[in-house]
Amino acid sequence: MSYAVPILLIATLVAGLVKRVNVYDGFVLGARKSFDLSLTIFPYLAAIFIMVNALHASGLDVYVTRLLAPPFRLLGIPAEVVQLVLLRPFSGSGSLAILTDVYNRYGVDSYVGRCASVIMGSSETVFYVASVYFAGTKVRHTGWAIPIALFCNLLGAVAACLLCRVM
Amino acid sequence: MNIVWTVVTAIALIALTVVDPQKVLTVCLDSCSQAVTTALGLCGIYCLWLGIFEVADRCGIVEKLSECLHGLNKFLYGNAARAAEKYISLNFASNLLGVGNAATPSAIAAIRETERTDRLSRTGAMLFVVNATSVQLIPTTVIGLRASLGSVAPSDILLPNLIATAITSVVGVALVFCAYGAAK
Repeated sequence: MSYAVPILLIATLVAGLVKRVNVYDGFVLGARKSFDLSLTIFPYLAAIFIMVNALHASGLDVYVTRLLAPPFRLLGIPAEVVQLVLLRPFSGSGSLAILTDVYNRYGVDSYVGRCASVIMGSSETVFYVASVYFAGTKVRHTGWAIPIALFCNLLGAVAACLLCRVM
Repeated sequence: MNIVWTVVTAIALIALTVVDPQKVLTVCLDSCSQAVTTALGLCGIYCLWLGIFEVADRCGIVEKLSECLHGLNKFLYGNAARAAEKYISLNFASNLLGVGNAATPSAIAAIRETERTDRLSRTGAMLFVVNATSVQLIPTTVIGLRASLGSVAPSDILLPNLIATAITSVVGVALVFCAYGAAK
């Protein structure tokens, strides 16, 4: 798997040589677009980060986690990973920090540690992705897209805890 | 998004003011600087991939890829515009190869082609759900972290992870079909 990216990069350059395309000009032209792109998404990132960091600094996230632990237990999700499930849709770096914390506290190869691993691997930062994807478009009403993605994240967490029990 | 963000942020800031009023400004300012550093980091990543995409496009590789995936794309997205279909194919290939960083710029480019109004189209919703559910076939970050913390078998989560992502992807796509109907 570690060869996928190098092969991809080299193959593209070689294909350019074979097809006699101006690779250098192409790369520069494409790369130039990246600045515009990150400029458009940057204010959306700021908004998301303010919300997540304020929630975390005020201790509200711990409170909500404690409040929601019982219903999550009914779904088969252990209390130790509830915070991860809740934070995951908002922040990639935040949930990675919680994952590390779970590993250190309960052990990497424990049931809880493996659950947390699969939850992390099978879910996505839904709100973060939404703000990045729809930045720079006119879209204001996202309809069913976010509810469906969130439901799938939750379903993934339930499946993760179930699968780790039998595998 | 407007209401959710405003309400949650307001509540969080009120709670923070009660706990420690000194911290409100630092938290907000730190978040904004964090946004700047993240955006710059992303800028570097996008720079590489958008450059490579442009080269691949000029070589006709993207065209070929999009022909190969035409059947699947037609089923999922219907008759999307040609430019959008190219970006959607690139996005799919990036996800499959586990190059999550390359998936984002291609998805954004596709969304810019498909979205013309203020209401998210079926194509946009499908693209979003596909990306939010089938992200990584091989969760490299998680496996790396497990290995660094001394796991006996860092990659023994691969199979449960694969099954879990498969379940979420299938259910996600099915729900988009339920909510928006079949592709036209």
